[in-house]
This record gives sequence, structure tokens and C-alpha cells, in this order.
Amino acid sequence: MSRSWGTSALLWQLCLIGMLLAAWQVSATLWPAPYLPKLQTVLASFLNFFHGNLLFSAVLPSLYRFAIGFGVAVLLGSFIGLTLGYLRGLNEWVRPILEYLRFLPTVAILPAALLLFGATDGMRIFVIAFGSIFPVILAAMDGARRVDQVLIDVARVNGLTIPQRIFRVILPAVLPAIFAGIRIALSIALVMMVISELIAANDGLGHFILRSQRLFQTANVYAGVLLLGAIGFVLTACMLAIEGRFLAWYKGWRGAADAI
Amino acid sequence: MRTIAIIKGMAGFLAAIAVWELVRATGTIDSRSLPGIGAILQSMISGLATSDGLMPSVLATLRTWSMGLVIASILGTVVGVALALSPLVETVTRPIVEFLRPVPSVALIPVALLVLGIGLPMQLFMIVFAAIWPVIFSAKAGVEGVDPRQLETGRVFGLSRLASIWRIVLPAALPNIATGIRTASAIALVLTITVEMLVGRPGIGSFLENVRLNGLVTEMWSAIVLTGIVGYLVNGLFLMLEKRLIPWSAEHHV
Amino acid sequence: MRSDRAFRSSSEGVAVPSILAVESISKNYGSAPVLDGLKFEQRPGEFLSIVGPSGCGKSTLLRCIASLMQPNSGSVRHKGNTFAEPPSWLSIVFQDYSRALFPWLTVRQNVAFGLHHIGSRERDERVQAAVQAVNLTHAIDLYPWQLSGGMQQRCSLARSIVVRPELLLLDEPFASVDAQTRIDLQDLVIDLSRRMNLSTLLVTHDVEEAVYMSDRIVVLSTRPARVVEEITVDLPYPRDQLATKETPDFLRLRHQVYTLIRAQAKSNNN
Ligand SMILES: Nc1ncnc2c1ncn2[C@@H]1O[C@H](COP(=O)(O)OP(=O)(O)OP(=O)(O)O)[C@@H](O)[C@H]1O
Ligand SMILES: [Mg+2]
Repeated sequence: MSRSWGTSALLWQLCLIGMLLAAWQVSATLWPAPYLPKLQTVLASFLNFFHGNLLFSAVLPSLYRFAIGFGVAVLLGSFIGLTLGYLRGLNEWVRPILEYLRFLPTVAILPAALLLFGATDGMRIFVIAFGSIFPVILAAMDGARRVDQVLIDVARVNGLTIPQRIFRVILPAVLPAIFAGIRIALSIALVMMVISELIAANDGLGHFILRSQRLFQTANVYAGVLLLGAIGFVLTACMLAIEGRFLAWYKGWRGAADAI
Repeated sequence: MRTIAIIKGMAGFLAAIAVWELVRATGTIDSRSLPGIGAILQSMISGLATSDGLMPSVLATLRTWSMGLVIASILGTVVGVALALSPLVETVTRPIVEFLRPVPSVALIPVALLVLGIGLPMQLFMIVFAAIWPVIFSAKAGVEGVDPRQLETGRVFGLSRLASIWRIVLPAALPNIATGIRTASAIALVLTITVEMLVGRPGIGSFLENVRLNGLVTEMWSAIVLTGIVGYLVNGLFLMLEKRLIPWSAEHHV
Repeated sequence: MRSDRAFRSSSEGVAVPSILAVESISKNYGSAPVLDGLKFEQRPGEFLSIVGPSGCGKSTLLRCIASLMQPNSGSVRHKGNTFAEPPSWLSIVFQDYSRALFPWLTVRQNVAFGLHHIGSRERDERVQAAVQAVNLTHAIDLYPWQLSGGMQQRCSLARSIVVRPELLLLDEPFASVDAQTRIDLQDLVIDLSRRMNLSTLLVTHDVEEAVYMSDRIVVLSTRPARVVEEITVDLPYPRDQLATKETPDFLRLRHQVYTLIRAQAKSNNN
């Protein structure tokens, strides 16, 4: 792709974005409607998130619950998945129940979680973790099962103990699969974070958006969605960066395999 | 071989049930919150047999879900193919796609409520918005992965551009699209139930919310278990359809 | 160098303890027999080749020798002793070289893989030396996917010799490289095993390769594998791709081994 195409593409992109924003602003001015706030009010609401009350009553509680729930899902899920995958014989026993739980639409367990834990942070963390752990488990399990026997043989011939084999052979070999699972888990965890706050919370971004909607504070609704999008964007970008760092070898390897 | 695998899988389920009953027996969790599996299954069966309650809810959910999924599949395929075939459109719209995709879909429910109200259109909009992404991206990847030699073959046989999209590009991309639709089906189910739960549209979601508010614990668990079965069957159904309808898909030969 | 391996295979008459004794081992996969009472010995420093039809159980034999799997009956002895885990005096180059290298490690890290118990200073030196010995110094920081087939195989070879084994097992190491690379690798392996005074056990289905490289050849039957014949190769060293292969002795041996193999293939078709 030539440089001139690159700059002109950027121009086109800016053009389109500008046109959409302008259209929004013009219609908001000409035909004021409750669901069409002016852009400057949305922007003002958006900036409100970063200082004062909202930071502590909306942004941080959400992020805190997300971090714990997602962290548990990633760590515990990888561990369980690796163990189950390493014990190859277990696959047929545990796969159906795991897939059942994986495809159980996680919202459905919300009422049960509410019943068992009450409307607490523990409940919301549980729902986030429950929703996102199964993709990680299944991915790690499949990855561990597919580790090439030859690589394990090399490790055995070189006298590696079982823990050494796990850390030096199985873990690196499974990492691409685990990351694929984590990518799915990330978006599920975000969705579950919001749902748990929409349905039963008195703080967090989901709660903030829903309350604003009920009070017809539409600028706040849009600002909240914007912030959630930004959070999703940043988290995805971070994860891709981590992945790129750990899996540089994998890209090249896959590329070479595809070229054949 | 196959039956042995099924038996082992059932044993896995039985083990999970045993753990459940063990938790009940030891009283780790208040047994009023945790009814026995027998009671849950019984409530599920009677709920499915009667004409008011669980059965209509499941049907309502499946109806909305299938409408949303069909729209998302068609729209997603069209958009994905268009993005793949036209680099200009792809480049120009990329920032918008990158902006919309990471938004956790359910966050838009309040926005959709504001703009569209609480009717079916709002629910369908939410389902489509959430479920369309995997279809778009898998269709795009599928079309981009079409072997240029196949297109050249088409040109040699004198196919028009439209005909070559229909007869070469789409079949070649179909395995990818099918995988995307399978992913979308699970997402669509989550969104269908979430919207029902939040705004009380008929379906499993509002059923769950009702029994929870009325303290009908056994009914609640039976609805949860049933929802899992629905999710599991939906995924299984799509896998089976893929295998049947797209035998040239490489995914099943691995 | 180790003193107990000062003798060469030609010291006939003296009771030389064998570095490897395969004593009537049998192995089944399920109910299908793969190895059927295999029996042979290898003397210290000897270059021994195993030739046999494709699928007859050669890789299985090597996995039993390396103790990666246990035979159903019979035993494998090293200097008279049995062993249960893959021993440190043995090293193996696996058949499928493109899968046997760790894709997330560079050449340097791959070669260093078996030296985990050694200090980093000595480890670096030994890795350098091994990589140099297989002429890969220029590629030492590349990943496996950046290497050609022949380079990948030399990397596997370096990883196996860097641990200074007494016995080196090679499972069809040159099977899927081009002809010129193959010739270069053959000479490299002969040279390395003589310089390091290695006992080498080479599995191949290439008759010419077996005759060219070995001191002795063990011919196997079709599956289930039995020893059909043992043939001593007394071609002089140094061996040369042109000169050695034009001698009457070489041609005679090649004829002899090839005839045996062909007879196997025929008996299999009947
Ligand atoms: N794990 C296994 N289970 C069952 N059968 C196996 C297994 N591994 C190998 N076999 C079978 O055992 C026979 C011997 O296999 P092996 O790999 O030892 O042969 P080989 O002589 O090395 O073949 P090649 O020349 O192709 O390398 C083959 O027929 C193979 O199909
Ligand atoms: Mg083999």
C-alpha cells in the first residue's frame, strides 16, 4: 500500500467520522429529542467520570469486580484446563459437563447467584468468573491435549522432571491456545460485568447507565456507553500487546506453516 | 467406541450431581436455596408439560432468538463479504468498526430503550447488534481466504463478477461463515434472555425473574438447568448442521 | 574423553562389554505385534545401522531402547545393566525433525535445552561448540521456522550431541531433506561420531546410506520385526562419497543388503 493511499485513507476516515458527528449535532440542534443530546453535553458527562464522585461510585467498582472475576477465570481456568488436558484419559469424562456449562447462557445463573450470595460484590465477581472461566478451561485443555508427543519425548530423553516438563514444554506449547481462550473470556467477562450491574447493583457503570436512562439523563447514558467502549478497547489492546510479546514465535511459526 | 464415550460423559454429569447433593447433605449452603436434583428435574418436566409457565417461555425465547439470529446472519454475511471485497469501504469504515466492536453489547440496552422503547424491535436490535460481529469477521476472513486460483478458474470459465461471488466466493467462505453463525447463536441467546430479564419481555428471562421475585426456588433452578440444555442443544444442532450441509469444511477433518 | 571407550569395534576376540544389548524384546500395540523377539548387540564406538521396510517397527524399537516405552518382554541392557527411565548417557534425534524442535526457542535455546543442570558459563561454551560443530553458528539466534529442513536437522543433531552422550540414536534423520543436504549430513554425522568417539545407532530405509555410514548393519523383517541378518561392513575410513561408493566391496555389500530387503518385500506380498 503506497503512502499517498495511506494518507488519503486517513482523510476519508476522518471525513466519515466528521460527517456522522456533524449529522448528529445538526439533528440534535434542529429537532431536539430526549434521546439525542448535544455532543458537548455528552462530552461534559464523559469527563465527569474522571474526577469526583463518579470515579468512585461508577468506574472503580466496575473495574475492581472485573479485575478479580476475570483474573480468577484466567488463572484458575488455565490451571484446571492444563491439568485436565495433561491427564488425557479424563477428556471423555469431563468434556460434556464442561461444554454444558460453557454453553449455559451465563445470565441465567444470575437469579441463582443473587439467591446464594445476595446483591453483593461477591455475587457479581462470581458471575463474571463463572461466565468467563469455561472458555479458558476448554481452550487450555485442548491445547494441552494437542501438545506434540515428540516434544514431551525430547523432554524425557533430556531428563526433565514432571514439573520441569510442565513449565518448560507444556506451558509454552499451550500458551497460544490459552490466549485464544482468554480473548473469548475477556468479552464475556465485560458483558457479565455490565449485566450484573444492570440487574442488581447500586454502583458501577452498568447501574449508572440504567439509572441515568430511567431519569432521562441521556447524555450520561451515552457517556457511560462511550466509557465502556473505551474500557473494552483498552483492555483488548493491552491483551493483544501481551500476546504479541509472548507469542512472537507463534506468529512466525504459523506464518511459515501456512506458506507451505 | 461412541457409546463408551457417551457413558463416560454421563458419568461426568453424575459426578457433578453427586457433588451437588453432597453440598446439600453437608449443609454448606442453606438447603432451601439448593433443592435436590430430583425435585428440580420433576419441576422441569411438569413445567414443560403444562401450557402455562416454562414451556411457553422457552418457545417465546427461541422465537425471538431465531428471528434475531437470522437477521444477524444475513446482515453480517453481507457486510463481511462487502468489507472483504471492497478495500475502500473496509478502510473508510474501519475506525467505526473498531469503535463499536469493543462496546459490551448489553451496555447499549439502556440506549436502545431510550430510542426504541420496550417492544420487539428493541430486543431484535440488541440481539443483532451483539451477534453480528462474529458473522461479519468470519465472513470477511472466509472471503479473504479464498484461493485466487479458484477465482482465476472462474474467470477462465467466463463467470461474471456476481456469478463468481455466488458460485465461488460464498461456497468457499461458507465454512467460516457457519462457524461465525455458531458463535453468534450463543451470543444471541444470552442477549435474548438478558433483555427479557431486564424489561420483562416474555421468555425464559422474565420467567426466571418472576420465580426469583416470588421465591420459587425449585422452579428457578429447573429453568436454569433447562436454559443450559437449550444452549447446549443449540450449539450441538449448529455443529451437526455444519457437518451435514458443509461437508467440505476442513474443520471436521482435523 | 572417557577412558572406557578406548577400544574400537575391530578388537575381535577380546570380550568387549557391549554398550547396548537388545535381548529378545517384543512389543505389541494392543493385540498387534510390532517387535517379535528382536536381539542384537552394539559394541562401544560402533556405528550400527538398522534397515527395514517402512512401518516395520523401527521407531518403536528406538523408543524401547531409549526407555520411552517398555517392551512387553525382553530387556535392553547398557554395559550389562537394565534401566527404566531415559538415561543420561543416551541421546536421540527424532524422525520428524520439524516437530521435534521447540518452536518458541531459538537455535541457541533449543540446543541448550538438555543442559538445564549445568552452570550458564559452561552451558554457553558447550552450546557454542555444538552449534559450531554442525555449522549453524550464523543461525544461532533464529527460530526453527526460519530454518531450512537441513538446518533444522542440524539443530536437532546439535541438541543431541551437546549433552555428550555415549550412545546416539538417529531415527531416519535424513529422510526428508534434498539429496545434496543429505550427503552433507551423512558426512557430518560420520565425522562427528568418530571425533566424539560416539556409539551411533542409525535407523534408515536407505540401503546405500546404511552401507556407506556403518560398521555393521542389522536387517529387519516386515512387521512384526525380527532380525533377518547382521552384516559387517569393513570399508576403510575415511569414507568418501565418490571413492568409497565406487569400490567393489561397497557394491557387493549394497547388493547383499538390497537383496535381503527385496526378499522381505516379496515375502510380504505373498
Ligand atoms: N501408538 C501406536 N498405537 C498403535 N499402533 C502404532 C502406534 N505407533 C505405531 N504403530 C504402528 O506400529 C507399526 C510400527 O510403527 P513404527 O513407527 O515403529 O514403524 P517404523 O518402522 O518406524 O516406520 P517408518 O519407516 O514409517 O518410520 C506401524 O504399523 C504403525 O502403524
Ligand atoms: Mg519410524
